[in-house]
Amino acid sequence: MFSTITSGTVCGISSYLVQVEVDLSRGLPCFQMVGLLSSEVREARERVRVALKNTGISLPPMCINVNLSPADVRKEGTVFDLPVAIGILTCLGQLTGPCTAGTVLLGELGLNGEIKPVKGVLPIVAQAKERGMRRCIVPQDNAMEGAVVEGIEVIGVSDITETVAYLQAIESGGSGLIEPEQIDVMSLWESTEGEKALDFADINGQAAVKRAAEVAAAGFHHLLMIGPPGSGKTMLARRIPSILPPLSLQESLEVSTIYSVSGLLHPPKEVLITKRPFLNPHHTITQQALAGGGRVPAPGIVSLSHRGILFLDELPEFKRQTLEILRQPLEDKEVQIARSSGVYRFPADFMLVGAMNPCPCGYYPDMARCRCSPYEVKRYLARISGPILDRIDICVEAAPLRFKDLSGGAPGESSAQIRERVMEARKIQAERFLGTGLHFNADMGAAQVEKYCGLGVKEKRYMEQMFSCMQLSARGYHRILKVARTIADLAGCRQIREEHLAEAICYRQADRI
Amino acid sequence: MTQQETERAYQHWLYQAAGMGSRAFLTDLEQTGEAQVVYDMAKRGILEEQLHIRYRRKAQKIQAFAAHYDVLGEYERMTERGILFVTIRDASYPQRLSVVSDAPYALYYVGRLPDAGKRSVAMIGARNCSEYGKKMAGEFGAVLAQAGVQIISGMARGIDGISQQAAIDAGGYSLGVFGCGVDICYPAENRALYESLLAEGGVCSEYPPGIEPRAVLFPPRNRIISGLCDGVLVIEAKERSGTLITVDMALEQGREVYAIPGRTTDALSVGCNKLIRQGAGLVMTPQELLDEMQMTIPALTEKNVCEQQSLFTMEETTEKVLRLLDFQPKPLALLQEAYGNAYETNISVPKLCHELLQLCASGHAGQTAGCYYRKGIS
Repeated sequence: MFSTITSGTVCGISSYLVQVEVDLSRGLPCFQMVGLLSSEVREARERVRVALKNTGISLPPMCINVNLSPADVRKEGTVFDLPVAIGILTCLGQLTGPCTAGTVLLGELGLNGEIKPVKGVLPIVAQAKERGMRRCIVPQDNAMEGAVVEGIEVIGVSDITETVAYLQAIESGGSGLIEPEQIDVMSLWESTEGEKALDFADINGQAAVKRAAEVAAAGFHHLLMIGPPGSGKTMLARRIPSILPPLSLQESLEVSTIYSVSGLLHPPKEVLITKRPFLNPHHTITQQALAGGGRVPAPGIVSLSHRGILFLDELPEFKRQTLEILRQPLEDKEVQIARSSGVYRFPADFMLVGAMNPCPCGYYPDMARCRCSPYEVKRYLARISGPILDRIDICVEAAPLRFKDLSGGAPGESSAQIRERVMEARKIQAERFLGTGLHFNADMGAAQVEKYCGLGVKEKRYMEQMFSCMQLSARGYHRILKVARTIADLAGCRQIREEHLAEAICYRQADRI
Repeated sequence: MTQQETERAYQHWLYQAAGMGSRAFLTDLEQTGEAQVVYDMAKRGILEEQLHIRYRRKAQKIQAFAAHYDVLGEYERMTERGILFVTIRDASYPQRLSVVSDAPYALYYVGRLPDAGKRSVAMIGARNCSEYGKKMAGEFGAVLAQAGVQIISGMARGIDGISQQAAIDAGGYSLGVFGCGVDICYPAENRALYESLLAEGGVCSEYPPGIEPRAVLFPPRNRIISGLCDGVLVIEAKERSGTLITVDMALEQGREVYAIPGRTTDALSVGCNKLIRQGAGLVMTPQELLDEMQMTIPALTEKNVCEQQSLFTMEETTEKVLRLLDFQPKPLALLQEAYGNAYETNISVPKLCHELLQLCASGHAGQTAGCYYRKGIS
């Protein structure tokens, strides 16, 4: 008596299908599971035995062997409870082999036989579809999440009895006891649009920082805000997602996959991540939490902020080593974590937004209030290493707020207005980079800068003049051109002009503070 | 070695043996005879008998010190390094200082000591100064030095260093008075200034070479700064500032005190403004200070003339932006708002950036700490 059930698992964020082979034979009664299992997978034995008993099926005194194939890949998680239980029932003759053919089963069992939600449903269902499976049976709570993948039936089940009944109905030719889950993906976007989001109109004053945020959003440039305490840096950072273009379905699937494997998707309320992530870890965060890690690597904060914003408040308070971790993801847009079992890759294409005070007391260069010595100021700024600063294209000072700014006044532009301009600039970039694999101006390498950021004679002379009198560094040169390109795109200009360069130079203070 | 040099070597030995702050004792000791005679007595162990009973302890110490000290060798090694030694009895000891009641018995110096025939002004102020203070220190230092005034200061961070650097750059003379040995550059960031003082001005200290800077050593050196000058000019000082110690010393010594006024809201000008209220001379331009000292005004330099002309060729908007700038650095956002208020037309951030960079490039404006802008230091 032998049966094979298909299930799946995730490794990093990539997923693959697993065959659950069950065999019942005569011999001393036992229940063994093999196939390089972690302890939570092995514990399925107890959960399955009790769950079946409580559903009214007692296991016969036989030797039960379960193998999870491929046997040389480590299995993690609790998705195998349901396929093991169904495999045993098939061996016992309660179900036949054909009714589970082309079906992927996932689910964790409770002792009373109920089926509980699991992590990683989205990537596993997507993988199942790719491999030509017909149907996925997943926990009821995860059904909507799985249904996002089109072209495959996703059946939500809530306990063993229901699952068995459904499979028996298929066997007897009934078209299906449970309707496949249906979801209108576009409605997910609409449902979030109505919510009152944070808006740029809430911020009075700070025109310079707002403008810098707009430029950063348009070209996906990293942004650093420097300003005294209480000048609204955090408030502004929180509103940047509202001027970024909405997530596309493709982007949303990428982000949702990361959240799904991290168990951070909360079905059924949250089926897909439809808003750009905004993460602001506390400065005591460890290197592992930031980059991802663990014995079996899990995505870190940089990956969770993929396609969104990673906001680091009080940048100099972060440990130096922790910040240095960011160098690789900032450059490669992914994190690689090597383990003996292989290299795990997590996408990490985020927009870094940093905020910091200009000195320990926070008031420099207002010498009437600043209590720091020049040496202290220098040392404070030096806590952020050159390579990190070098990767931040836009650096802007937030002015101290006065009462006038706080008490009303005319409201500023709304996020929707700014977003419109950002979208226009994005459209120009999309056309420019068609077929190159790049998305934004910030992604350009030296070769692309040469190609797309050509300067006229007049502009070249201007840059030359600025270079010497503003003491710009050579490594900042390309960054200035990239930002100037974005500014020109925002203005709808094909050619970069003097005023675009001037503004970009103003934002290029990071290597000079 | 001449007779005079030899005697000076013995005086140097005696100054070190007696320890700092023993001017009264050393003056008494001079009754006994020349330093060389004192050394001989100490060497033979009979100094103790020669002196008043109240100096017994000190005499014993000196005798012990004489036992193993290479007087001429040590002195020669020091002079070879360019460090000179002068006591209050010497003619080369600064005359103004010698009449001060608590003048140091001796000074170590490198370079030149101030010329008694020329006017000297001490320029002092906060270490952690504002852009306004920097600008004032630079301007006063340069113009006064051009007019032939000798600038005395402490070579500290901030006002002190900036004034002295400006004086040297203008081709004038400046003296740095240290709270450590003259062979030690403190603070280290003023290394360039230290080198140029050694070459074109002078540095002096009452402490022997090799003495490390310590907080307690600095207040006493302020009496030397004020003692060496005709007048003290306070550029910038907070209400409770170390600068005011020098002012107190100056008043005790009968020196004139001048101060540059500032806005009442600036913490760094409170000290100056209060001094003015107490009767210090109010000085707004270097010229006024020179008038006070009955000195001639230096001719307007070519640089100033040329800059005044260039203002006329400026575009209207650029000039409007320049008028908004101040020596107090202002952030971009505030400038934008101020533009709107002043001219009733709004200027966009990109346009403002463009104008400001133009001003920075032509030297009319300067940038501080990122996106803060101030009027240029010319």
